[in-house]
Parts: sequence; C-alpha cells; structure tokens
Amino acid sequence: MLIFQRYQWWVASMIGLALFLALAGQVGVLSPFQGVFLRITSPVESVLNGVFRPVASVLSNAGEIGDLRDENDRLRLENEELRNQVGELQQNAEDIKGLRDALSLTQGDQSVQYVAADIVHRDASPFTDVVTINRGSGDGIQVGMVVVSTKGTLMGKVTKVTATSSFVRLITDTQSTVSAEILGTGADGSVKGTPNRGLAFELAQGDIQVGDQIVTAGLGGGYPRGLPIGRVATVTGTSQDLYKKVTVEPGVRIGTAENVLVRTDFIPESLGLGD
Amino acid sequence: MKMFSAIVATVFAAIWQVTVAPLFPAWGVTFDFLLLTLVVMTAFGSPQRAMVCTPVAAVAYGFLANREPGLILLAYLPLLPLGFYLEGARVPLNHYARTALVLAATGAWARLLFVLASVVGGADATPGLVLVHVILPGAFLDLALLSMVYVPLRLLGWSGQGMSLSRGGYYSSL
Repeated sequence: MLIFQRYQWWVASMIGLALFLALAGQVGVLSPFQGVFLRITSPVESVLNGVFRPVASVLSNAGEIGDLRDENDRLRLENEELRNQVGELQQNAEDIKGLRDALSLTQGDQSVQYVAADIVHRDASPFTDVVTINRGSGDGIQVGMVVVSTKGTLMGKVTKVTATSSFVRLITDTQSTVSAEILGTGADGSVKGTPNRGLAFELAQGDIQVGDQIVTAGLGGGYPRGLPIGRVATVTGTSQDLYKKVTVEPGVRIGTAENVLVRTDFIPESLGLGD
Repeated sequence: MKMFSAIVATVFAAIWQVTVAPLFPAWGVTFDFLLLTLVVMTAFGSPQRAMVCTPVAAVAYGFLANREPGLILLAYLPLLPLGFYLEGARVPLNHYARTALVLAATGAWARLLFVLASVVGGADATPGLVLVHVILPGAFLDLALLSMVYVPLRLLGWSGQGMSLSRGGYYSSL
C-alpha cells in the first residue's frame, strides 16, 4: 500500500509502542514517571494559568453581557448556598421524623474533613471532563475521594493520585454515574454526565417536578448520602412513560470553578457501584 | 539541536493543550493545539522531527491529562502516512490545502478514537451526535487556527516542506 511505503517500519514501531504504553499503564509502571513529569511541568502550568485565565475571564465578561454574567455568577453562588441550606434543612427534618439510619449518617457528617485545592488544568471535550488539582497523596488524597465545590455541591471523584497532584473525573463526564434521589420525595435514579458536559437524571420514577433538588443517594458506597448535586431543569415525557427524560442543572458552575474541596474523611466502599 | 527544540516545543504544546486550550472553547470543543504543532512541524520542518515528536506528544499529553498515551499515539498516527500519501498520489492540492487536509483528517480520526474510548468506558454516543458536536466543530476550529498560523509563517519566509521521507527512510536526510 502506497500510504505505508517508507513509513511502514515507523507505523509498526508506533503501534508496538502504543501497545507497550497501554500495558505499562495498566500495571502502573508509568505512574512514577507521570508524577515526576507533572512536578517538572507544574511551574510552566502555573505561569500559563496566571497569564491566560485573566484573559479568558476578560473575554467572557466583555461588555454589557459581562456585567450580566457577573451578576448571574453572584446570584448563582447565593442561590447555590441557599439551596444547599434548604436541602440540609429538609434533610434534617426528614431525619427528625424518625429515619434512624439517616439520623446516624447525619451525625456522622459532623466529622467531615476537607482539603482545599486549586484546579490547575482540565481535559475537556464533549465526552470527557477531567480536571487536575494541585493536591496529591502527600496531602492525604486517595483514589475515590469525593470532590465538592467550595459551597458543598458535588463536583466529582478522584480517579488517580500522584505525589503532588490528583485527577478528578467531574460528574459531567460521560463516564460518570452517581446514584441520586429527589430530596423529599425519595425518587431515586442515576445522575449521568451527558455529551457537552450536561447532566441527566436517569431511571427515575415518581412525580418529578422542575426545580426539585437532587442529592446523592449514597447507594453503592461510592458517594456519601445527601450531597447536593443540582436541581431538575426539564422533565419531558408522558404519564405513560416508565422513565421520563430529566435534565439536571448543576448546583455549581462546574466549567469555570477554580477551587474545590476534597472530602478526605470519606473512603468509598469497593463495591464497584455508583462511581 | 533542532530536534531538541522540536521536542521541547512539543512538550510545551502539550502543556498548552491542557492549560490554555480549555479556557477558550467554541461550540463545546477545544482546538487541538498539540496536533496543530505536529502538523506545522511536519509541513514546515521535516518528517523526521514529527516521527520523534509524535510519541513524545502522546506521552506528554497522556501524563498531563491522565489519558492513555498509547491511545493518543494511535490517534495521531495517521498524520505522516496521510501526508505522504497525498504527495505520492499526486493529488492536485497546494501545500496549504494538503496541510489542512492532513490536519482535518487526523483531527477527525483522533476525536473519533477518543469518543470510542469514552463509549467503551460507558458513555452514550450516537454517530450523528459525534459528527455534529465533536467532529465538525473540531475540524472547523483546527482549520481556523491553522489558517491563523499558516499565513504568518509563510509571510515570515518559512517555506512549506514535503511530508515524504526520502529513500532510505528516517536516516536518509539526517
């Protein structure tokens, strides 16, 4: 074949190298090299972030639209805080009514511990949403730990840890699934990332209304119960449908977040569910 | 020295890809600066440099974004054979058009491969959705960026090079 002439040995070598890299990655041989590489490149990343984040911010806030966006950002933060407070109050009310198990979980939440981290870069495409944070195993971060916004809304989960940094798969990643429920009604399902970094509430039955608060259900042991995720944005389908199509508006602007909190007190159970 | 500079530029492009590119998304996608660097390196430099820098790019990007370096390597693999094919088959295209075609085709293949990897990992995707939301906007963005880079480089006096290896392969022009 003409297309491979003179490049055939190179193409063959690269395919061999790709297989080797895939195997090496699976057995974890590459992790130490990755840690060193990330440590070496982090100063360059910091400089680029310092230069281009303000530029991106200025561009996105240009003109009158920018003023409205600023106001919207502020209102979103306030709204998120208020929603989370309402969620907590409703959660507490439910617990007081006699759900002893839930009560014990709520009492456990008093020992919640967080590590603050900055998002240093992200790998975003319509199907992928992974960020890197500047905290690693040296700061007590472990694979599976839950990452929330500075206001407590669920953002994702740690998938890989090096000495100085960690990778977090955000809930808007299409490979992310979180068992969740509607606060108050108890209708449960799964919140999944959708293409173009959206969220959908799947396999949920019951009376679901626009504006309903969605929190983690805690099923499967991958996430603690009661973490705010967002609110129902749209519900489409008829009463005949077994499952309605529900889209979710995240409680936090995941795409523009710069800081996160890693919940270090919660170690997920290794059930392979809900992650 | 030129090879070393090319490797440094490739690593820098990988850092740029995960640090700066996501700050400027358009239509839900980000431009593939790393692929653009490899294509420009091939079109204005030599295929030998791209032969070395392609695996470097895969490993650097894989480490930075926590993706499979092997998958990235396969994603960028068609770049050189495709460029060589377009020259060897005497397709009536000028240097810019050939470069643009190589970039668009390799970019489409790379994005498709990344989507397939996501699907294997549990993502839901339909062909139409992938085409409309990933392939087409990505190709448009990459070509727009190539045009922004190509013209200044030609104005600076950089001449377009061929993507074919001479007889003797990699060692022929060292």
